Amino acid sequence: MTLEQVLTGIGDLELVARIVVEGLVSGLHRSPFHGYSAEFNQYRHYRPGDDLKYVDWKLVARTDRVYTKQFRETTNMAASVVLDTSASMDFPRRAGPAFSDSPVSKFRYSVVVAAALAHVISGQGDAVGLLGGDRFIPPRVGRQHLRRLVAALSTLEAGGAWDGAAVVRRAAERLTRRGLLAVLSDFYDDEERTIAELRRAARMGHEVVLFHVLSPDELELPYGRDLELTDLETGARLAVNAAAAQREYKESVATFLEHVRGLSVAEGFQYSLVVTNTPPDRALRNFLLARQG
Amino acid sequence: MIWLHPTVLFALVAVAAPILIHILVHRRAERFPFPTLRFVKPTRLSSIRRHVLDDVPLVAVRAAILAAAAGAFAGPLMVTSARRQAWDRRVVRAVVSEGVEQAGASDATRRFQSGGDLADAVRRAVAWLDTAPPARRELVIVSPLAIGSITAADIASVPDDVGIRFERSTALPSARTMPFGRILTKNGPVDREVTLAGSQTSVSTAAAPAEPNVWPIEVFASPEDRGAVDAARSAVLTERVWAPPADRLVRLFVAPRNVAGPDAQPVHMPWIADAIARIAHDADLQTAAARLPRGVTGASFTGPAWQTIAAAADGRPVAVAAAAGDRLLIASAAPASDVVTPLLMRSIVNALVLAPEVRNAEVVPIADAVLTAWSRPSSAPAAPRIGSVDEDDRRWLWAIAVLLLAVETWIRRASRQPRAGEQEETTRVA
Repeated sequence: MTLEQVLTGIGDLELVARIVVEGLVSGLHRSPFHGYSAEFNQYRHYRPGDDLKYVDWKLVARTDRVYTKQFRETTNMAASVVLDTSASMDFPRRAGPAFSDSPVSKFRYSVVVAAALAHVISGQGDAVGLLGGDRFIPPRVGRQHLRRLVAALSTLEAGGAWDGAAVVRRAAERLTRRGLLAVLSDFYDDEERTIAELRRAARMGHEVVLFHVLSPDELELPYGRDLELTDLETGARLAVNAAAAQREYKESVATFLEHVRGLSVAEGFQYSLVVTNTPPDRALRNFLLARQG
Repeated sequence: MIWLHPTVLFALVAVAAPILIHILVHRRAERFPFPTLRFVKPTRLSSIRRHVLDDVPLVAVRAAILAAAAGAFAGPLMVTSARRQAWDRRVVRAVVSEGVEQAGASDATRRFQSGGDLADAVRRAVAWLDTAPPARRELVIVSPLAIGSITAADIASVPDDVGIRFERSTALPSARTMPFGRILTKNGPVDREVTLAGSQTSVSTAAAPAEPNVWPIEVFASPEDRGAVDAARSAVLTERVWAPPADRLVRLFVAPRNVAGPDAQPVHMPWIADAIARIAHDADLQTAAARLPRGVTGASFTGPAWQTIAAAADGRPVAVAAAAGDRLLIASAAPASDVVTPLLMRSIVNALVLAPEVRNAEVVPIADAVLTAWSRPSSAPAAPRIGSVDEDDRRWLWAIAVLLLAVETWIRRASRQPRAGEQEETTRVA
C-alpha cells in the first residue's frame, strides 16, 4: 500500500497512525524521548550498541575505561501536540485542480503525523495531549486517552485563520510541568509572534519541536501557466504567470524557510521541514533519529 | 485609385473577424486556491504578453489577407499616367448614319441607324459611348443634315468629352414634294401636297376619291335640333379639318335633355384616350363652354365612366366623354344652336387625326458655320465609369493575398517550432 493510499484511502486515523508507527519503530532501536525527571543511578561497562551519548568521557579520561551512565526514570514526560488548523493548511485541496504530485493536503498529512507522534509518545508511557482548533485535550497517559485523542484529531478541519501565538501560549500554560511542545504548522500566520511565544514556552522549561509542514507545490510553484491565485485565508486574488513568477517565488520561500529555521535553531528548538510528498513514517524517523543524534 | 464595386468595401468589416476571434479565444486565467500570496509577485499574464508580442503580427497578417480579398472583390483600378496614355491612344467611335445599324461592327466603332430620327439615334449612340471602355470618345453624324434633323438641344445632350464630327452624306434636293394629308371640306375630302423649294413652301390640293363615311361623327339630336346640328357640321367643313382614319368613329349626343343616356364604358383604347385629352385641351372649346350658365344636371351623363371635357360657368360639365365599344362617345349639354356645338365638332375631328410628318421633307441644310460651331474634338478620357473598365488591378491584390497567406503560414509554423523545441528539451531533462 502506497503512502497516498494510506493517507487518503483509510478513514480510520488510528489505523493510519499505527501503520505509520509500525514503519517508524522498526527503524529505531531506542526510545526517542527521555523523561526529564530521570535520575542518575549507576555506571556500567560499555557494551557495543550502547549510545555513546551516555558515555562518561571524563571517567574515561581518568580511568581509561569506558563506562556508560544509567538513569532511573521517576516521572513520565508530558507532551502537547499543537496543530495548525488554518485554511492555508487545507492545500492542495482534493476538490481543486490536481497540480501536485502529492494530493494529500498539509492538514491531513499533519493529522497523520500528529496521531503517529501521539502513538509513539503514548507507547513509551508518556502523557500526550492535543491543541488543535478549539479542541484541547490535556496530556494524559493510557490507551483510552490515546484513542480519545486520535478521535479528536480525526474530527478536526482546517479553515479560517490561526492565531499561532495564542495557541502556543495556551498549550504551554496548560503543561503543568516541564514538557514537550510539538507544533505542526506552515507558520504563515505571523510566524514572528508564534516564534516569540515558543521562545517564552522554552524559557518556561518546555522543549519545543517544530514540524514545518509544506507541500511540494508551495516550494516549487510548478504550474508554469497563467493562474489566478486565491489566498486560502484572506481570499485575496492575484493573477500571475506561474512560469514567470517561479524564480522569485522560490527565492522568497527559501528566504522564509531559512528565516524560520534560523530563528528556531537560535532559540534551541528542534526544527524539521516536512514536505508532504515524504512518507510520514520516514519524516518522523528522520526527526527522531535527529533527536537521538 | 478608384473602386469599380465600392459597395464591396463594406466587406472590410470582416477584417475585424480575426481580432474578434483572438479576443474571444483569449482565456481567463484559471482560478486556483493557494495557501498564501505573500511570496508571489505580480507578473504579466503570458496570454496577454503573447497577444501583445507574438499575436499582433499574425492578427495583422490575417486582417491584411481579408482586406486584400475585400479590396480585390471591390475591383481596384489604379489610374496611372501610363494607363491614362493608353486610354488616350484608343478612340471609341459611334457613327450615326442612315445606313444599316451594325451591332458588332467592332469593339471601337459602332454604327447607329437614324431611321429618319437623327436625334434619337444620337441619344442611343451617346448611351453606348457611356458603356464603352475608357478611351477618347467620338460621335460621327453622317447625314444630309437638313434643318431640323438635329438641333442645338440634341448637341447639348452629348457629354462634353465626346468629340462631335459631322459628315454630309448626300446633297439635299433643291425641291421636294410630299403628301401633306387629307382634309375634309364642304365639297368633300381633299388631298394636299407640300412642296419645299429652297426657303419657299407651297401647298397644293387635289380632290380625293370619294369614300363612304368620311365624316367620322354620328350625331344624335332631337328633331328640332337637327337643323342646328347640320349647320354646325357645315360650318366645320367650311373651315376645313383633317380627315381622320376610317376606323375612328364618334357618337355625339347633342342636348340630350329627354334622351336616355347611352351605355357609356370606361376608356381602354389608346386613340380614344388621346382624343379625349386633346379635346379637353382645346382652348376655343373651353372658352365657349365657360360662357354657358349651367352644365349637365341629370344623372344620365354623370356616371363614373364619363369624363368631363368642357365645363360650364357653374363648374358642371357641359361636354363629357366615354367609350362605347370601339367608338368615342361624347355628350354635350350645350344647345345645338350654341357655338359650343361647332367648336366641339371641330375639336373632335381634329383630335382623331395626327398631323402629317413633313420634317424629313426639308431641303435646306444646316449651315456649315453652325456645324462647325457644334463640332469639337474628343478630349482625354475622364475617370472611367464603373462597369466600363475592361481591365482592373484586382489580380495584384489577389497576388498580395496569396503572398500574405504564405506569410501567415510561415508565422504560424515559426511560432510552433520553438514550443516543440522547448518540449523536447524538457523531455530530455526529465
